[in-house]
Amino acid sequence: MADIDFERLVEDFYMPLYRFGLSLSRKESDASDLTQHTFHTWAAKGHQLRDPAKVKTWLFTTLYREFLAKKRYAERFLEAEADSQFIEPLHVESSVVDTLDAAIVLNALQMLEDRYRAPVTLFYMNQHSYREIAEILEIPIGTVMSRISRGKAELRQRLSDAAAGEDRKVVPLREADRNG
Amino acid sequence: MRRQAKIARLCRSGRQIAMDKKDIRALLSVYRADELSADDPRFEEARKEAESDPDIARWWAREQELDRIIGEKLQSTPVPAELKAKLMRKNEVAFPTRPTWARKITLLAAAIVLLAVLFSSWRGPFQPAVSLADYRDEMVGFVKVQPSLELETKQMPRIKEFLEKSGAPMPAAMPKKLEEMEPVGCRTLRFRGKNVSLICFKRREGKLLHLLVVDRAALSRLPRRGAREYATQGEWMTATWTEGNQAYLMTVQGDRATLDRYLGTS
Repeated sequence: MADIDFERLVEDFYMPLYRFGLSLSRKESDASDLTQHTFHTWAAKGHQLRDPAKVKTWLFTTLYREFLAKKRYAERFLEAEADSQFIEPLHVESSVVDTLDAAIVLNALQMLEDRYRAPVTLFYMNQHSYREIAEILEIPIGTVMSRISRGKAELRQRLSDAAAGEDRKVVPLREADRNG
Repeated sequence: MRRQAKIARLCRSGRQIAMDKKDIRALLSVYRADELSADDPRFEEARKEAESDPDIARWWAREQELDRIIGEKLQSTPVPAELKAKLMRKNEVAFPTRPTWARKITLLAAAIVLLAVLFSSWRGPFQPAVSLADYRDEMVGFVKVQPSLELETKQMPRIKEFLEKSGAPMPAAMPKKLEEMEPVGCRTLRFRGKNVSLICFKRREGKLLHLLVVDRAALSRLPRRGAREYATQGEWMTATWTEGNQAYLMTVQGDRATLDRYLGTS
């Protein structure tokens, strides 16, 4: 495979990889470790990848595998899905949407069940097709879809709950004043 | 559960079974509009329903907008400033290893020393702990999704009055070009306990320019006096500088030349 410039690779992918790692691990230090491990693995084994178009998927898969290895959750993720189920997500009021910020969204994502957190995060990062998400998580595409459906529904509920009682990081001043 | 089972059957068989509105919404909510699945007849059927039913069409547009906003917020999550530098030093990076007992003891000792240093240098709750990069990420993430304004006016004196009453910082010295531009309005924000003023201006191209002002004591790693620091955030270009006790962040959707036009440097 033609040489891929390491600095360019870091430039292009370290931020989304870190954010994916942060959503999975819930800890900034672990997210940094996962990102470093991913590029370390690339430095050692990246030359074995034959298809340059697969670099992005390879990096995310590597990070996800390391996360699973660390957490020893692999068995849980191999459980078969009961069924492919899509559910309609909760309607979110525009007043709730206005209050959203990065911290609230990340916090709500981090509270999702493990099996939903990874596909929903990848869905919202908007860098991967459904097929790529299935490759990264090494699960069938139908399972990806049903997990995204259920995960999104759970996320909406958590965002609404957060907006109802969250002590926000960035809030309109007047609201902050009202809250004391 | 019956409805879910029906959709599950549809998923597996791809057969044409009449779907009600709830089924259609459940199905559409999973898909991205710009990533159509050509081999999925169910989605095509649901999409056709959405095209012929204004209620569903409106609902789906709202859904996609909400997904876009959630995605943008997630993608504005700050990334540690030092991470990239660490990664670039690929041969020197201390990659995580399984800790041995000796390593654990060393780490514990290092942690105690670090805590001691931190404790000895503690100067109270107003210690600036937030880097400029964090602030920039969060502010650009905020303005990207067209924030609602608390005051909409074309008159700068009214904006000044509003900010003053709100206890938010009023820009002491704006770039001359901005003084010639028409404001759209303003709002106030809180960032890690500090008040931030956001003033929006209308650009000739119809897009907006955003100016954010905060007490400089709220941030660390600011550019030195008289200097500007440029940084990109996706499609957005930012410039940061300080003036007196205030830190200014100006951002537009565009490149550096676009921003420089309003800073008066081109």
